Amino acid sequence: MTSEVRAPSAALPGAPVELRRDVSIWGSFTWGYADVGADVYVALGLVMGAAHGATPLAFAAAGFVYILIGFAYTELASAYPVAGGGQYYTTRGLGDIWGLIAGAALLLDYTICISLFATASAGYINFFFPAIREFAIDIGPFQGINLIWAAESLFLIVLLMILNIRGIRESSLFNSLIGGLDMVLETIIIVFGFLFAWKPEMVVFQFKTEFPSTEQFFYAVSVAIISYVGLESVSQAAQETRRPATIIPRTSVSLICVVLLFAMAFPILALGVLPWQALAERESDPVAVLASAIPYIGFLAGHAAAVLGATIVLISANTGVMGASRLSYSMSESHLLSPWFSAVHPKFRTPVRAVVFFSVVAAAQVIFSFLTGPHAMDTMVNMYAFGATLAYFLSFIALIALRIKDPYTPRPYRMPFNIQFKGIYIPILGIVGAFATLAMMGVVLWTHALGRVAGPGWVLLWLAVYLWYRWKNRHPLFSNLPRDWEKEQIAILTSAEEFDLLEQYKHALAERNKKEAKHASQ
Amino acid sequence: MIDLIDQINPLGGVIALFFVVSLISILWWMLHPPDYIPAAAAKARHSVFAVKKILVPTVGLPYAERGVELACRLGSEQGAEILLTYVVEVPRTMPLGIPLPDAEQEGNEALERACSIVKLHGLPFQKILQRARLAGEEIARIARDRDVDMIILGIRSEPGLRDAILGRTSDIILRHSPCEVLIDKLPKGAQE
Repeated sequence: MTSEVRAPSAALPGAPVELRRDVSIWGSFTWGYADVGADVYVALGLVMGAAHGATPLAFAAAGFVYILIGFAYTELASAYPVAGGGQYYTTRGLGDIWGLIAGAALLLDYTICISLFATASAGYINFFFPAIREFAIDIGPFQGINLIWAAESLFLIVLLMILNIRGIRESSLFNSLIGGLDMVLETIIIVFGFLFAWKPEMVVFQFKTEFPSTEQFFYAVSVAIISYVGLESVSQAAQETRRPATIIPRTSVSLICVVLLFAMAFPILALGVLPWQALAERESDPVAVLASAIPYIGFLAGHAAAVLGATIVLISANTGVMGASRLSYSMSESHLLSPWFSAVHPKFRTPVRAVVFFSVVAAAQVIFSFLTGPHAMDTMVNMYAFGATLAYFLSFIALIALRIKDPYTPRPYRMPFNIQFKGIYIPILGIVGAFATLAMMGVVLWTHALGRVAGPGWVLLWLAVYLWYRWKNRHPLFSNLPRDWEKEQIAILTSAEEFDLLEQYKHALAERNKKEAKHASQ
Repeated sequence: MIDLIDQINPLGGVIALFFVVSLISILWWMLHPPDYIPAAAAKARHSVFAVKKILVPTVGLPYAERGVELACRLGSEQGAEILLTYVVEVPRTMPLGIPLPDAEQEGNEALERACSIVKLHGLPFQKILQRARLAGEEIARIARDRDVDMIILGIRSEPGLRDAILGRTSDIILRHSPCEVLIDKLPKGAQE
C-alpha cells in the first residue's frame, strides 16, 4: 500500500479556468484541524465557565452530535467532491432556495471565523506587548477603543487575503506546517499533564460537587458544538483536493477521531489539574493556564501557549477566508449568487473576487466589533453557533433526500446503520442527526439572546439578495433552475480523476436505463 | 529517572499512552490511502463487473462443465445470473416437434450436472432446454432475447479440421452473438 497521489492533469487549451487540485492528504486534514484546533482553544474556557465540573460531559454531548455530522459530511463529500459543502448538498437534495439558506448560514460562519480569529490572533501576539494590550482611545461616542489591536487584526486579514489569492498550495502549506506543529505541542501538554499533574480524584470531586444548572449545561453544549465546524471546511477543499472521493473519507474520519481525542482529553485533564474556576476566569488563554500548572514544561507554557494560540487561531482565520471564497464560488456556479463571485484568477486559479469580498466583510465586522466593545464579539459567537447548526440540519435533510433521489451516485463511504427499502438505503443515523441538530438549533436560539436576532437577520439579507439576483436575471424565484445532475456528476468524477467511481456510476445509470426501457416496453 | 517514574500517576499513564497510540494509529491510517486506479484499469474492471447475465451452453462433457465453473467464478462478485442452455439439434429431414426422448434425457442430465456446479456458488440460475436446426443460431437467439451480457463457451479442438480450430456451433455463435463471447479451450490431453 502506498500513499501515492497522482499529479493533477493539465487544463485543456480553451477550457474555462477552474480551481487547481493542489491540496494533499495532510493539507486536507489540516484544513479541518486548523479550524477545529483553534475552536477547542477558545471553547475550553467558555464551556468550562458554563458547564463547570460537567465540562467533559458537555463536550461529549456535543461530540455525539459531531460524530453524526462527521459521518454525514464524510458520505456527502466523498460522493459529491466539489466546493460548496453543505450548500451544494442542500441545493442538490432539496432545491435552490434551501441551498441558498444553507449557504448563507455557512457564509455567516466563515466570515465570523475570519474576523473573530484574526482579532484573537492579534490578541495573543499582544501577550508579548502589554503596552499595546492596554492601549485605549475615545473617538466621539465610542469609548475605550484599542485602535492598534484593531489595526493589527485588519493587517492579518489583508495578509491572509493575499495568501489566499496567491494560491491554495501556499495557503495549504501554511496550514499544514502550523497544524502539524500545533498538534505536536498539544500532545506534549496532554501527555505531560496526564503523566505528572493529573489527579483522578479531583475530576470526580469537581463532577460531584460543581454540576451546573440545566440551562447552563445546554448553553455549554451549544458553545461546545462550535468546536466542530472544521468538517465543513474539509468538504470546502474537496474541489481542490487530489482524488477527493478517496482522500476525503480518510481525512474526515481521521479528523472526527483526532478532534474527539483532543476535545475530550483537554477538559478531563484540566479538571484533574486545576479547579474549573481557574480556567473559566481566563477565557482567552485557558490552555496556557493549564500548561503553566504542568511540571517540567510549565515554565515555558505561558510564552509557548501565546505563540501557539496566535498561530493556531490565525490558521483558523485562514480557513475562514478559504471557506467563504470557495462557498461563494460554488453558490455562484449554481446561480444562487451573481457570477461575479466565480471569477478565477487566470494565473493563480483562485476565486480572487470572492476572497477579496469576504475579507472586506470580515474587516468590516472587525471594525464594528471594536466600535461596540465586547458585546459585538458575543454576537459573533452566538451567530457562529446559529449558522453551523442551521447548515448541519439542512445537510442531514439533504443526505436523506439524496439517498432517495440519487441512489445511483457511488458512495465510497456510507453512514452506518441503514434500512434497505425498495433498493434505497434509509439512513437511521441521518434521521437521528437531523433531530439532534434541530434540537441543538433550538438550544442556540433559546440560550443565545443576540444570536436569535442577528443570525436569522443575516440569512434573510442573503435571501433578499438572492431574490433580487434571480428576478434581475429572469430565473425562477422559488422553484429550481433546470439542471442535469447526472451530466454534472460525470464531469465532477472525471475532473477528480476518480475513474473507478466514474465507471461505477456509468454502469449504475446504464442498469437503470435498461430497467426503464424494459418497463416501458411491457 | 527513578524519581520521575515514581511521580507518574498509573491511570494518567494509561490515558496518556492510549492518547498517543490512538493519535499515531489514526494518522498512519489516514496517510495510507488505497492506490490510484487509472482510467483504463477502471474501465476494464467495471466492464467485467457489469456482466450480470452469463449464458453457458453445455453438452454434458467435462470441457463444457469447466465453462460453467468459469462463468460462476466470473459472476460471483457481482452475483450474476447463470443461464444454462442445452440445445437439441433436430435434422432438417425431421419435423422440429418429433419426439426425441433419448436426446432430451441426455440434455436434462447435462443441465442437472451444470446446475449442481452453479449451486455450489450460490448464484441464481435458469435451465433452458431448446430444440433447433442449428445449435449456434439458437444460442445466439437466446442471448439476444434475454439480454445476455456474456456467453462462455468451453470448447475442444476439432480433430477433423486442419485449418479451423472452432467447430460449426462455436463459429456461428462468434459470428451472430449480440454480446461478449469468452472461449475456453483446454490443451490437448487435458480434455478427458
